[in-house]
Amino acid sequence: MDFPINPPIGERVRRKETQRFVTGTGRYVDDLLPPGTLHVSFVRSSCAHAKIKSIDVEAARSMPGVRAVFTGKDIARHVKPLRVGGSSVLRPVTLYPLAVDKIRYFGEPLAVVVADNRYLAEDAAEMVSVDYDLLPEVIDPEAAMEPGAPLVHEDAGSNVVYKYHFATDGIDKVFEDADVVVKERIRSHRITACPIEPRAYLASYNKEEDSLTMWSATANPHSLRGRIADILSFPEGKIRVIAPDVGGSFGVKIQTYQEELLLPYLSRQFGRPVKWCETRVEHMRNGRHGRDQIHYIEMALKKDGTMLGIKDKIIADMGSTYTVDHSIQAAALYMTGVYQIQNYAVDALGISTNKTTHGSLRGIGKADASYILERLVDIVARQLQLDPIDIRTKNFIPADAFPYRNATGALYDSGQYHLAMKRTAEIAGYGQLRKEQAELRKKGIYRGIGVALVMEPTSSSRIHATGGYASCRLRIDPSGSATVFSSMGEQGQGHETTLAQIVASQTGIPFDKITVIHGDTLPTPYGFGTGSSRSSVVLMPSAWVAGKLMRDKILGIAARQLGVVPEKLEIGDGKVFAKENKERSIALMEIVRTAYGAIHLLPENMEPGLEVTGYFINPNIDYTPDDKGRMNTFSSYPYAAVIAVVDVDVETGMITIVRYCTVHDCGNMINPQIVDTQQQGSIMQGIGAALYEELRYGDDGQLLSSTFMDYRLPSVEEVPELELEHIVTPNPFTPLGAKGAGETGMLGPPPALCNAVEDALSPLGVKIRETPLTPDRILDLIEKAQAKLAHG
Amino acid sequence: MAKTISLTVNGKAYSGEAEPRTLLVHFLRDALRLTGTHVGCVVGRCGACTVLWNGTAVKSCMVFAVQAEGDEIVTVEGLAQDQRLHPLQEAFWKNDAVECGYCTPGMLMSAYGLLSKRKKPTDEQIKKAISGNLCRCTGYSNIVAAIKEAAENFTQ
Repeated sequence: MDFPINPPIGERVRRKETQRFVTGTGRYVDDLLPPGTLHVSFVRSSCAHAKIKSIDVEAARSMPGVRAVFTGKDIARHVKPLRVGGSSVLRPVTLYPLAVDKIRYFGEPLAVVVADNRYLAEDAAEMVSVDYDLLPEVIDPEAAMEPGAPLVHEDAGSNVVYKYHFATDGIDKVFEDADVVVKERIRSHRITACPIEPRAYLASYNKEEDSLTMWSATANPHSLRGRIADILSFPEGKIRVIAPDVGGSFGVKIQTYQEELLLPYLSRQFGRPVKWCETRVEHMRNGRHGRDQIHYIEMALKKDGTMLGIKDKIIADMGSTYTVDHSIQAAALYMTGVYQIQNYAVDALGISTNKTTHGSLRGIGKADASYILERLVDIVARQLQLDPIDIRTKNFIPADAFPYRNATGALYDSGQYHLAMKRTAEIAGYGQLRKEQAELRKKGIYRGIGVALVMEPTSSSRIHATGGYASCRLRIDPSGSATVFSSMGEQGQGHETTLAQIVASQTGIPFDKITVIHGDTLPTPYGFGTGSSRSSVVLMPSAWVAGKLMRDKILGIAARQLGVVPEKLEIGDGKVFAKENKERSIALMEIVRTAYGAIHLLPENMEPGLEVTGYFINPNIDYTPDDKGRMNTFSSYPYAAVIAVVDVDVETGMITIVRYCTVHDCGNMINPQIVDTQQQGSIMQGIGAALYEELRYGDDGQLLSSTFMDYRLPSVEEVPELELEHIVTPNPFTPLGAKGAGETGMLGPPPALCNAVEDALSPLGVKIRETPLTPDRILDLIEKAQAKLAHG
Repeated sequence: MAKTISLTVNGKAYSGEAEPRTLLVHFLRDALRLTGTHVGCVVGRCGACTVLWNGTAVKSCMVFAVQAEGDEIVTVEGLAQDQRLHPLQEAFWKNDAVECGYCTPGMLMSAYGLLSKRKKPTDEQIKKAISGNLCRCTGYSNIVAAIKEAAENFTQ
């Protein structure tokens, strides 16, 4: 692809949307309160696995201000279930907005109260009493796989609901012939996204028009519209979904939720707006969870550290009502990471348990893969007594091997792993760090240095799920301003700015005169949710395509009026002019007037007006596996090299991040400021995942960490000095050369920090296979390692 | 048992109905329709609802509306004067200290509370002032830089 990347593309332009956010005039779902709004509160299960014997709603129903109470049975009579699963690898189950007969996880909604305000609704919800027939819980995914384990979904027939197998030819022989085979069991623990805005929905049915408007804090408005139409058997054309300002998603708001589907039904019942804003506790219990994979992984190597092959068995805890499988698949396809390993086998199993539903979370599956692989590489390096940088650089895919097809068929677009690692080592002063480490050890200071190179497949393309394309409609308005209608909503990514930068660059319309409309299904073209870092990979190119179509149209109109062929024309300073004679020009505004009002002056066969739609399709996607099972479902491959330096206090178990150096490559940057801020936030979320955050369940299936007191997000106090640099290797397959910038940052800290902590505690013989690295876990690991040493 | 609460918000007199148990944040948002103050956790942990209560930054989910009877509240809507952004707002914008914008009003009010009391805060004081405000998007560095820059231009 050619890269005519002109300003303001590539500039650190201030974000348009920030102005309303700093003045408190952003508009989120909870800010809306139409007259006559009714409020909803959910009754949720107090156990993890049970048959519902009976639900007594009488006391709640008779409370003041309560309009209605519905149970799952009431609702199931009026709405169709959502079918989920049913692919070749995923067993099908049915899903209703409220639990009907059976509870499958702690906190599952089983009844709903509709009342005049949220306080009254919550009061009434507490008065609903439920009689359960308790069933044995299945919490541990490995126990859930055992024959005879209680079934989470009887209709699935097994708790093993997803199975995927892939193997290259002759993999066993590679392992037999290897000098060294290293085997490990490593687990990525369960976490969740925690946007600061919880989920919020407002449905408003208009009786006169027989139409429905749904405001939702969703990252996926068009898909939600289709689902509402489906379960209510209501014409999609009469439904409008609006995602106004959305306070962060990180994957968690891309899915459709049970509560989300219920509100349109309730609004239709009452003929009034119905609103629900979840509490933080509800968010922790019911928002989708992520990670939670166990890998039994082994690597075959030559003595000199040359990597020969990987075998992996993945056991992924999908929780109760699984709706997606791509976390497992994304891990299974990328376990060879950034290394030249063409021998690979994997058995990936998705397991139903009595936990909250698993779903999208920044770095879904790919974060598990990079964490576990980069841990394994470090363990291997220690065993072979090789430097962790040396073993990596020995095995990296070299820059001249791109585009590179990995063992599972994924086509990596571009990369300079050696350069990124080398530059990170320079920034960190790696040689000097090792010397200092040795000196500090003599003084009893446990300093560790952790290395990782994480790669993030982005812009996933899945049949019927993420579609693999995006679109933008672009109109130059009769007044000369421009409006961009984006198929994707935004939750903080800054699309109002970056889309305007692209359109300004192509059309010559000033950046300040471009308005971006997004998140509203009425004016915007169809598209899929914002996730998998796909905005800059497919959405921005679709605006680029629209901009190019518009540019061609403008030049075509000017060509006829000026008598100069379009190829010899240029746009600038509000004019179209001949490149060879700038005097020969026509004002852009004159072209706009012509297109709308003087169409007899348009070139033959040109449509009136200035309105175009640009589509961009993810390049290089192989949706269906070839005869060897190989496919490529992601389009771009950004990555980051990391060197983290930590000090571990062996008395308290506290970890201090002394330095965090990283070199990141997301290809061309449309707005480097936005990329930098994304990176900083993404890295902090990764630090939280590595050190502080965990969704921990009791043996009875109760979620033990369901508030910000026990599920600890990093605060400003935990921010280390970040030393962040970029290198730019443009994606050769997309017109902007961008690869996606949302997630790579989050992938770095878990392996880099775990590697650093294990390095710090290596004199004590500490091995890290479980996370997060909370002080109590560190102390426990030190104690166990000491005991082991003492007993030889 | 609703009662009428009268108080001053951003220099203007307001009154509205509240029950004894109504949280100040809900009163500001639902009764007075000042929706710039956000709700993120309702247990005093995320800071999205931070306002100034008689000059001190507090989490308005931890205050009942009746407690603020007759008092002075400043919310994010009160920062800009005569259509001109407050230096803190300018600095947040310039330093890209905002992504989704949900935590932003609370961050601004915690920072405003700090700058009202300390003209030239140290980095440590800035961090302490916003340590009760969670941001999931930006990673905080730009927010600290913005507050620092605003402190240079801030006169009250």
